[in-house]
Parts: sequence; structure tokens; C-alpha cells
Amino acid sequence: MKQNYTITAIAENRPGVLYRIADLFLRRKVNIESLTVSEIEHAGQSRFTILVRAEPNLVEKIVKQLYRIIEITKVIDSLDESLIIKEIALIKITARNLERRREIEHLVHLANGKISAVNQSYLVIEKTGTETEIDSLHELLKPFGIREFVRSGRIVVFK
Amino acid sequence: MKIGVRKLKSKFMKMTGSQAVMESLLRENVKVIFGYPGGAIMPVYDALYDYMDRIKHVLVRHEQGAAHAAEGYGRITGEPGVCLATSGPGATNLVTGIADAMMDCVPMVCITGQVASHLVGSDAFQEADVIGITAPITKWNYQITDANEIPEVFAKAFHIARTGRPGPVLIDITKDAQFATFDFSYPKEVKIESYQPTTHPHPKQIELAAEFLNKSKRPYILAGHGVIIAKAEKDLIKLAEKGGIPVAQTLHGISIFPSAHPLYVGFLGMHGNYGSNFLSNKADVVLAVGMRFDDRVTGRLKDYLPEAKIIHIDIDPAELNKNVKAEIPIVADAKLAIQALEKAMKKNSHKEWVHEFRKCYKIEEKKVIENECSPKKGKIKMGEAIVKINELTRGEAIIVADVGQHQMMAARYTKYTKPNSFITSGGMGTMGFALPAAMGAKFAAPNREVICITGDGGVQMNIQELATLAQESLPVKIVILNNNYLGMVRQWQELFFKKRYSMTKMTNPDFVAVAKGFYLDAEKVEKRAELTSALKRMLKSKKPYLLDIKVEKEQNVFPMIATGASVEEVRLE
Repeated sequence: MKQNYTITAIAENRPGVLYRIADLFLRRKVNIESLTVSEIEHAGQSRFTILVRAEPNLVEKIVKQLYRIIEITKVIDSLDESLIIKEIALIKITARNLERRREIEHLVHLANGKISAVNQSYLVIEKTGTETEIDSLHELLKPFGIREFVRSGRIVVFK
Repeated sequence: MKIGVRKLKSKFMKMTGSQAVMESLLRENVKVIFGYPGGAIMPVYDALYDYMDRIKHVLVRHEQGAAHAAEGYGRITGEPGVCLATSGPGATNLVTGIADAMMDCVPMVCITGQVASHLVGSDAFQEADVIGITAPITKWNYQITDANEIPEVFAKAFHIARTGRPGPVLIDITKDAQFATFDFSYPKEVKIESYQPTTHPHPKQIELAAEFLNKSKRPYILAGHGVIIAKAEKDLIKLAEKGGIPVAQTLHGISIFPSAHPLYVGFLGMHGNYGSNFLSNKADVVLAVGMRFDDRVTGRLKDYLPEAKIIHIDIDPAELNKNVKAEIPIVADAKLAIQALEKAMKKNSHKEWVHEFRKCYKIEEKKVIENECSPKKGKIKMGEAIVKINELTRGEAIIVADVGQHQMMAARYTKYTKPNSFITSGGMGTMGFALPAAMGAKFAAPNREVICITGDGGVQMNIQELATLAQESLPVKIVILNNNYLGMVRQWQELFFKKRYSMTKMTNPDFVAVAKGFYLDAEKVEKRAELTSALKRMLKSKKPYLLDIKVEKEQNVFPMIATGASVEEVRLE
């Protein structure tokens, strides 16, 4: 059965590593649902957080094949239960009248988000949380007319 | 004071990037390189001019030839074969050879020129994204834009190519980095934190494996290329003899065991021996070493080895449980694992089980081999030619086979006496591989007879390398088993496509005339009575020699396990 797997790979921070990782998923025809890359606690090392939906045995094979990439030092595949998962979303909404602004602010407050930018014509809402929390705020705000919606992809730490 | 200066000089030498390439090759003990010059690699070729006494450069006629020649060299020496090409088309022409080396775990270092760094990415003349193109087919690749990187990158490249599961690496060097001068000093050792292949087997796993083998009634060893790469042939023979275990070889495992060894039971795969395939499924413990359960070996996967507990030794963890689930996976160098296992296991014998393979061989001999190898009438058969070559070379030659029917015949009917004597393109099945690979093999083993067995289709795919042979006066012997067809495809058309011979019939050139045009000796053989004497003349010659042997046109290779069939459904006719 297909499940959400978060594949965390630690690699030397060099050009070309992302290319090789992406190619492996391409060869196995697994779609990458989200991907984040950043430098980690050790200098010169990057952490790739890759979310896929796939069968467990396929994930096992991909993990082993990732180790073939010379620059990769560590690969861990995890199910959601064993992770603390966060993602950030930015939602831009047109809001010219005060009434609407109040309504939006109220919802954002309830959903534990915050208004990170504001001007006369729009609001930008920032929401950090799990994918589900972001999805539900997104749903709540849809009726107000969303102009832009962008999310970072998950980052995780192990429980 | 003078001594001090000299010391300083030997540690740091001022030189250009191109000279550094040459110095790096010398440090890596490279003796032969195969290449083709062009714009973006010209500074390196200019530096080479001063190193010709120490590094032999072989001028191929097409970069694909350079790549396969480097493969042939790498397969025989176990050290990286080196090829050199220019940017753009030079580099892309290497691609098939690189992919071939990747599939067959051949150590290889490719050096390509690249346009100057300020032009990279701008669609400059003869620019190709070689790093991007070769990423999926190299073990590692790197673009050098700064000459200072050359020593470290070369040391790393050679280390990666030759260790662990060997494979091709590619170094792309921009033209400005080739020109730039810097202080050269070569690293004494390479340590890559993220790359440290496991070589020692886990003792607990070895203990378990030994227990499995001790208890087994019908143990079976499947030996692959990894045994040759690890130079563990003798160790495997010792292990098999101690346990009285029958041994089969994969296509790349051929010649690990001397063919005459009483425990050697045949070669595995689609056209392997009857018993070695058929009886796989009767084994209760399978010890697979340095092989990867390729689909050509396993047949229909769900019906493969139903009764066996599997011990799988490989240096690449990604191969374990990839195709076949192993009860005991062991990540290790084949030599170390085999030695440890041999020590841990008990002496044993399985005479009846080994005898079953002999019985199967009798059946195969009657139904297939006799017709193929000792026909009395009709046209010359491929098997017959192989047997003759084998007899005349006493099984001591290095056989380099191309891809197709003749390849399977060479694999089936050569009786080997020395390890690492059979080279072919297995994983990729690259037609055109044999002629340049034989060239590389001959440079690697100048004192051994190297015979290229090829087909009328395959030889035409890199036929330009005849010019290289002529230029080098390199005594490679070329045997074309000529049936005027793309024989293997024709066989499939006959068996699975209702004899609709779509685009497999070939109107060939006169290969003798072609060879003579390249100033090579050549002759044609059409009759059985001429075969032995022509082969003798070819083998006696100290020069390259081509023999065009006309064989029966519509001959099939049997036994055969059709695609999707189980190993038990192996067909004898």
C-alpha cells in the first residue's frame, strides 16, 4: 500500500547532488510531493527532506540506491508517526474593507497563524504547522478569494 | 641548501592544468590512454606531447571506441581504463561506453575537455552539458573550472572508480583550467567521508551462512563478476571444494572456474546451460556471490528459487534484496567474505546432487551441443567455429565477444583454463563493443592471445577501429561469425513473431576487402574443410588479422529461457 514517506538524506553540499537524487526518483517513477534543502549543523553538509507517496519496498530500494551517490552520508526513511513535521505557508488575500479584514484576522488568530504583511489592498498570512493545519486554514480562507498561496514543503525532526 | 630547494620542488611544482593532468595520470600509474583530440581538449594534448615516452596514447577513430577500449583495459587489469575526449560531440560519443561500464562495473576514468568557464552554459561552440548527461551513468562526475582542483579531483576519481563496486567516473575540465598555472602537489591518500565501502563481512552473518550451507542437502553457488573483480577465484574454488558444492557462473562470471573442474556445472541465463538453469529451482541453499540476479538469470521472478534459502554476498548494499529476497544478505568484498565463509563451514560432499547436473548436461549434449559443435554436413555452425578456436588456443586466449548469437556461442562453447578470460557487454548488450574492447584488452595483456568474436552486424558498429589496429600494428584477432542476419533478433522473430523477419537481413560489405582497405590481413572461410587451417594461419600471424567465417544463416541458440518464462521452462529446441 502506498504511504507517505519522508526521506531524509544528508549529503556533502556540492553542485550536482540534487540532480542525482532527482534522477533516481525519476528512474523509479516516483513523484516527489515536496522537497526542501538546506545546510545543517555540520558545515558543508546539506539536508534533503523529500516527501513521497510510495510502496514500502520501493522506498527501501530507493534508500539503498541513494547511498550509491558518493556525496551522500546518511539516508533515513520515516513514516509520519515518527516525525515532528512542520511546514510554512504564505497566503495572500485581497482585503480592502475593514469588515473583511477583521473577519480574516479573527480566523487567522483562531488557526494560530499570523499576519506577516499588510497594506491597503491585501493581507499576507503566514501559517506554520502540519500539512493538515495549513490545508484547513487554506479551506477557511478560500471564500475570501486567495491571490497567491505558496507552501515551503515539509521539514522534519525525528521524535 | 640545494637539497632543500629540490625538496621544495618535488612537493610543489609550478605547472599548467594540462601538465597537471599528465602528472596526475602518472601518479595513478596510468600507462595507456585511449582518446581523440579536439578543440576544447587541445591544451591537454599539447601537454601529452611531452609525456609520450611515459604515457602511451592510442588514437582511436571514434570516441565510442575509446570508451570500450578503456573498458577492455579496465576489465583485464582491474585498474581504471582511461579515455580522453574533447567537449560536445567528443564527450557525447563516449556516452554508450560509459553506460556500458556502469552496468558492468568496469573501472574507468573519462576525461573530457569543456569550453572555457566563462562560456559554460551559453550554448557555446561544441558545448554539451556533459555533467548533466553523464550523471545517471557515472559513479561520480565533476567539472573542474579551477586548475587548483585537478590533483584532488583526479585522486578522488581514480579512488572512486577502482574501489567498492567499480564503475566509470568522468572529469570535465574547462579549457581555461587546462591553461592556468598553479602549484601542483598530489594527495598521498584519499579519504571521502561519505564514501567508505564496507569490505569486511559481518561475522554473525558468516556464521549463519555457514550453518545454512552445512545443513544443506542441495547447496548451489552462483558466481558472478564480483568474484573476478575481488580476485577471489581461487578462494571460491577452495570453498566449493570444501563444501562439495556445484558452481554455476553468470555471463560475467565465466572463467572464474576452469571449465573442466568437476564442480563447475555451467553458465546461467537465457542461453545458459540446461542443468545450471533448470536445477536452480531444486537447490535448497543458494550462495550468490558478486552477482545481481539480473532478469536474464532469474527468468520469471516469482517462480525463481522457490525452495532455496538465499545467501547473497555483494559489495553494493543496493543489490541486496533488490530483485531477490535474501535470508542472509552480506555486504562485503567477495574475497574477504568467501575466505571467512570457507573457514566457518564444514567439509562436505553432495555427489548425487552434483551428478544431477551431469545428467542434465548429457541431455543438453545430445539435444543441442552435438549438433552445434560437431556437425558433419551443411554450412559451418557458430558453435563449431568457437570449439575450433578454443582447441587451437588451448583455452588460454582472452575471448572478447560482441552482442548477439555469436556472444552466447562464445560463452557456451569456450572451455576456459584461466580466470578473467571472457569479456563481453552483458548489462547493456552494446553491439560494437567487442572490437574496441579487444584492443583495450590486448594493450592490457600483450602476451596473451586476444580474440574478438563478433557478428556481421556488431562488427560494423565500430568497424572504424580497424584503422586503430593497423596504426598500432596490434595483433588482435577478429573472427566474424557471419550469417547475413542480425541473428539474435531474427531468432526472436522466428520464435515469437511468426517468422516476420523485419529489418534483420543484411547485405554486407566484403569484410575481407574492407580489412584489406585498412591494410589488415584477412581471409574468408566458407567451407568446413578450410576452417582449421584458416584459424591456424590467423593465430600464427603476429599482426592483426580478420577472419570472415560464413556460417549457417538461420541457426538458433539453444537452450533458451524465453522472456517471462521460468528457469524450469528452459527450452532445448
